[in-house]
Amino acid sequence: MLLVCRCVFVYSWSISCLSFICLFFHVQIDRMGQKDPILEEEVKYRYNNVISHYRKSFIQDNAQRVSPLSFELEATLKLARFLCRREMAKEVVELLTAAADGAKSLIDASDRLILYVEIARLFGTLGYHRKAAFFSRQVAQLYLQQENGLAAISAMQVLAMTTKAYRVQSRASDSKHSLPSEIGPSHADGGKMHHHSVVSLFESQWSTLQMVVLREILMSSVRAGDPLAAWSAAARLLRCYYPLITPAGQNGLATALKNSSERLPSGTRCADPALPFIRLHSFPLQPSQMDIIKRNPAREDWWAGSAPSGPFIYTPFSKGEPNDTSKQELIWIVGEPVQVLVELANPCGFDLMVESIYLSVHSGNFDAFPIRVNLPPNSSKVITLSGIPTSVGHVTIPGCTVHCFGVITEHLFKDVDNLLHGAAQGLVLSDPFRCCGSAKLRNVSVPHISVVPPLPLLVSRIVGGDGAVILYEGEIRDVWISLANAGTVPVEQAHISLSGKNQDAVISVAYETLKSALPLKPGAEVTLPVTLKAWQLGLVDPDNAAGKSASGSTGRQSKDGISPILLIHYTGPLTNPGEPPENGSSVPPGRRLVVPLHICVLQGLSLVKARLLSMEIPAHIGENLPKPVRLDNGSTEEVTISESKADGLVKIDPFRGSWGLRFLELELSNPTDVVFEISVSVQLENSSDVDNPSVDQDASELGYPKTRIDRDYSARVLIPLEHFKLPVLDGSFFVKDSQADGTSSGRTLSFSDKTSKAELNASIKNLISRIKLRWQSGRNSSGELNIKDAIQAALQTSVMDILLPDPLTFGFKLSKNGAGHAAKLDSPKESNVQVPSTSKGSVLAHDMTPMEVLVRNNTMEMIKMRFSIRCRDVAGANCVEGDKATVLWSGVLSGVTMEVPPLQEVKHSFSLYFLVPGEYTLVAAAVIDDPNDILRARARSVSSNEPIFCRGPPFHVRVIGTA
Amino acid sequence: MASTACFIIVSRNDIPIYEAEVGSAVKKEDAAQQHQFILHAALDVVQDLAWTTSAMFLKAIDRFNDLVVSVYVTAGHTRLMLLHDSRNEDGIKSFFQEVHELYIKVLLNPLYLPGSRITSSHFDTKVRALARKYL
Repeated sequence: MLLVCRCVFVYSWSISCLSFICLFFHVQIDRMGQKDPILEEEVKYRYNNVISHYRKSFIQDNAQRVSPLSFELEATLKLARFLCRREMAKEVVELLTAAADGAKSLIDASDRLILYVEIARLFGTLGYHRKAAFFSRQVAQLYLQQENGLAAISAMQVLAMTTKAYRVQSRASDSKHSLPSEIGPSHADGGKMHHHSVVSLFESQWSTLQMVVLREILMSSVRAGDPLAAWSAAARLLRCYYPLITPAGQNGLATALKNSSERLPSGTRCADPALPFIRLHSFPLQPSQMDIIKRNPAREDWWAGSAPSGPFIYTPFSKGEPNDTSKQELIWIVGEPVQVLVELANPCGFDLMVESIYLSVHSGNFDAFPIRVNLPPNSSKVITLSGIPTSVGHVTIPGCTVHCFGVITEHLFKDVDNLLHGAAQGLVLSDPFRCCGSAKLRNVSVPHISVVPPLPLLVSRIVGGDGAVILYEGEIRDVWISLANAGTVPVEQAHISLSGKNQDAVISVAYETLKSALPLKPGAEVTLPVTLKAWQLGLVDPDNAAGKSASGSTGRQSKDGISPILLIHYTGPLTNPGEPPENGSSVPPGRRLVVPLHICVLQGLSLVKARLLSMEIPAHIGENLPKPVRLDNGSTEEVTISESKADGLVKIDPFRGSWGLRFLELELSNPTDVVFEISVSVQLENSSDVDNPSVDQDASELGYPKTRIDRDYSARVLIPLEHFKLPVLDGSFFVKDSQADGTSSGRTLSFSDKTSKAELNASIKNLISRIKLRWQSGRNSSGELNIKDAIQAALQTSVMDILLPDPLTFGFKLSKNGAGHAAKLDSPKESNVQVPSTSKGSVLAHDMTPMEVLVRNNTMEMIKMRFSIRCRDVAGANCVEGDKATVLWSGVLSGVTMEVPPLQEVKHSFSLYFLVPGEYTLVAAAVIDDPNDILRARARSVSSNEPIFCRGPPFHVRVIGTA
Repeated sequence: MASTACFIIVSRNDIPIYEAEVGSAVKKEDAAQQHQFILHAALDVVQDLAWTTSAMFLKAIDRFNDLVVSVYVTAGHTRLMLLHDSRNEDGIKSFFQEVHELYIKVLLNPLYLPGSRITSSHFDTKVRALARKYL
């Protein structure tokens, strides 16, 4: 056969014959189905021969009418096709490159087009897709040079084939679409990818080429009249390459999008999203009114531990960060609207009108509500997209459905996440959100969302206004909180707890009221009274008070976070009616209602200072001795005069006498602009009148008349402290001294000392706690002023003086015969003198008046002493002794030596004869012999040989008659 | 100096990480795009050819019209590609070798993520200087 070939070979005009032979071989080889290398070599040789012949003829005979170039190219292409295998790639590439070179010499554009088509096909067959794409683009350009619609369609179709190689393919043609989905999960769990995988995400970022190709696709599809393809190309171009396009170009693309959509039927969907860029912003936490708490069916108190009890509602140590949505599971409830925040960005230079945007949910159990958004140029916006879960199950939100530029597209969050990730690594041109001025956002991945059956929903309302409760410091008031079940399921369990700061401001919560109202049917309402007591302002933050005094206004304090919070955990029935009870693991969750009690504390009445005052008011001498009111009435030997007791605290009864009367002075100021009325009350312990049941219980709490303090005024209140004396002066109160004494050593004593010291402290506390200062302002504000600390501070230095009795008490009284005389004498005079009360103990002048002095030993030991009685006139001069003595006496008045047994009284009688009527004062004083340490300690003597004096209270004597 | 020369560095992931028109010809946008298209298409040829030789400089591997593509493949499979119309092979080889050294310096920068775009202006200046010197 080869021989025949050689024989018939004739130069010049037998080339076509030769090529025919080549074709013949070609067919032969194909028929044999296997490659014979020898035969292949032969074919190659023949083809090359033919090609070289054509070339020669071209050079030789230029003037030939039919150019042999086309034949040469044809032969080259045929050879290339013959060799077109992976192993022969190098040769084929050379052949095709040579063929492409020949295109320059082709005059006819359609010839060139055909040549390029063939080259592109052969490269494609070889697996050189980029080469194929390159020549396809050449083809498309040639088509586009032809001014007709069919050519444009062809151009468009050819260009569409190149998109894969240039990686600008439409999502619709990209069937596998696997790359992002592969990346997705690793992205979610790690957040940190390998650099290589990140880089591979943005493989072939030949942005210049890609833009050119997309632009050509856009041009060709516009010319070809395919609006959807045009829209898609413009959308891809705008979305991916907006940073490289000038604002004018961006506007042009937007116009192209609009123009294309006008030619599309409404409701057309396109696989390629345009603008805006959408990323997931966050899943807003459930409003505190509807918090969902997982319920542990095994525990009765499932709410315990579900909320941190500290002052912070969300602590870093609580279970799961609330913002960490990747780990968190979200629970949505059928029929309750939910919200998802997404961020939109329009990085382009035109106004973007998003006709509607809504969450795209493929699981079919979610109704999304579309909204309309307008995005100004270069702006980003966080919008809330909402919807309602319709049935139990899981919900996945891959992205949003957007109706923009007249076409409906789906924007996946994942794509933008990848884009942002690439931007963070510097692999993508620009971060669309950052260039719009939006802050960098942590990657938010869609949490696992499950939808549960309906739950009850409590809604709280503070009866009488939802604003802050304005209270003055220390004010006590009730507020009513109304709870209504707005859900469709009854509330079966409820539990109230307190949280936040100032929890002790809530005195009581009527838990029982709530409990008795259960189960709370849908629509039902229950009202709970809550008793509040306003806290002290100064204790909360002193700087606020300082600032307020500087500004001079009564500043309101309604800062967040200082008010207590009521937490109400509640839940519906364990299983829903009409549903089969599922396995125990899936108990419907409970809920938590957070009711912040907005308490606004105003500065109210304030205690400026507390001071201890001492006064000596002389007692009037009378038939009876002054009655000391003891702490412990059981041990006192004297019966108290109960009728005078109540007013005894208010008025000084001169006949009852007073010995070292002490007052607690409270200075109060009212910086507010309302009027306060205060009342001090002293609670009397174990209402002393066991022997006098006629006295009602009110007597056990002695009230003083109310004091009114006007705005911006101060007032002082005096509280007599005469009621707080201990009956016995005991060594145990001076622990230190008794220990230094050494005579009474041993642990038993120190133990008893300690206990009595504790008793003393307790009694001081007791004393303080019994003084109460209540205030009232207007009709419904009332409270109590906290004065404990102030009193304690005031009493600290002199508490011993107040509580401990003197070692000796002295009491004067008229002896019986003299008293009777005096009374007899007094009775007719009562009306004349006009002062009946004072006439009672009066003494007549020029009359021998027998008197007695009672000396009482208040200690546990015998006291030896010398005592003397003095009588002074109004001027204070001694009127018993001296030259001008106006009083005569019988009996012993000075230097009386006496021994008084412990807790006993000794009477000493004497008589006085007043020469001049008037006012006299009797005072008894004693020097104690051999005082023990207790007495020394009581007298606060420094040295051991210092004499211990003891002076009784002065007694007043009114002498009437004529001089 | 060559009238047309488009230099490009393509990372192992086929991403262009550096592009420069280093020719003396008046720059036209269309031409620049065409250069990139040719270089992009030449990647297919490089892909096969790189494994057939141990040399880094692959010489002229592809051409379109009058433009020739010379390629230098580094050990890390980063491709330095030059599209040119002159036939100064020695100059091109020297150019590639020097740019390779510069590229290694860039890689040594701990802040440079391998495979990402080279934005260093110093690198750019140096490359252009080398182009003036050798091409």
